[in-house]
Amino acid sequence: MTTEPPVLIKSISQKDNHTFTIEWSDGICNDYRLNLLQKNCPCAKCFDVSTNQQRIGTPPVDEDVRAKRITNVGRYALRVEFTSGCSTGIYSYAMLRKLSNTQTQVKQQ
Amino acid sequence: MPLPMFKPPEEQPKRTANRIAHTVAIAAGKGGVGKSSITANLAMALQRAGYSVGVMDTDIYGPSIRQMLPEEQMPEQIGEMLVPAISKGIKVISMAYFRQPGEATAVRAPIANGMVTQFIKNVAWGNLDYLLIDFPPGTGDIQLTLTQQANLTGAIMVTTPQEVALMDVRKAANLFHQVNVPILGVIENMSYYQPTPSSERVYIFGKGGGKHLALEIGAPFLGSIPIDPEICQCSDNGKSLFLDQPVQPPAAQAFIDVAQQVVAHVTTLNRISKECLSSFNLIWKEMP
Repeated sequence: MTTEPPVLIKSISQKDNHTFTIEWSDGICNDYRLNLLQKNCPCAKCFDVSTNQQRIGTPPVDEDVRAKRITNVGRYALRVEFTSGCSTGIYSYAMLRKLSNTQTQVKQQ
Repeated sequence: MPLPMFKPPEEQPKRTANRIAHTVAIAAGKGGVGKSSITANLAMALQRAGYSVGVMDTDIYGPSIRQMLPEEQMPEQIGEMLVPAISKGIKVISMAYFRQPGEATAVRAPIANGMVTQFIKNVAWGNLDYLLIDFPPGTGDIQLTLTQQANLTGAIMVTTPQEVALMDVRKAANLFHQVNVPILGVIENMSYYQPTPSSERVYIFGKGGGKHLALEIGAPFLGSIPIDPEICQCSDNGKSLFLDQPVQPPAAQAFIDVAQQVVAHVTTLNRISKECLSSFNLIWKEMP
């Protein structure tokens, strides 16, 4: 058996008014800024699976957007209830890890 | 001859201790999506990977596991305990052993429930890495009994891609949520047809239904099983889909991949109970 078990959340906490922190089961910690998450909303209204891109014409994201609550969706994803804009997206852990990798790469450049 | 279900109390020996590491439900809520064929082939894939596997067919009214996993050794009743049948190295118990072929199990729900309880409590499985429980369709009495009594590690939801199937599978998933049985993931059966390895896949029942369901219920997607005449022929004839060689036919490989995912997610579940959050509700607060 060679398949690695998927990465899960060990702890999740609010860092400041716009950011939360996830400690993953493999020891990596990532910060997630709420406005960036909403810009990457994966719901069918915001994300076009056929082009693999955010849809043109989705309402602009408030840079000051905050959360009301963040809850798990099974063992696989989380859902953020934002104070404004789209809250229907289900952010899979795989997607969150991918997002944090992209952000890290951008910072390194 | 089918086995009698009961023997007089004076013949009953002591219960055998079972050590079952993981008990996994294979459920759908709907009939005809291929729960039994998934159970049988998943059992064979796990067994090939070196795990000791048992299969409990709890479809009292329409057991089909025996056809797919014909016994080399019949089950035996010793007192109140049932020693399971053996098929291809897999321990199997099914209502099919207690009825003549073609004979209907015409019993009311409390009796059927009692039979399932016997399967849970009175089968001498011995040591098993995986016990796969092939659930009957629906979300009724038998399913509730199983979720309450079978000490389930988790449940695998089987679906076909079309919305009509997904509707019922959602309900079955909801049942497991209600009784706090973690869903290990979703397997999409009859996903596509590919006449030859080089030809394009044809999505006869639609595309992506299983993945969509997995995302919706917050469970991992464990894999897709194609429509393949080999699966049907092997199931009907009680033969193994798997070859004794490293390179497997596509359908067998699909089950091997799914089995790897199942093992990975069971491992994860074990870890969750020790160190990870199985659920959370972070309420946002205004910070200075």
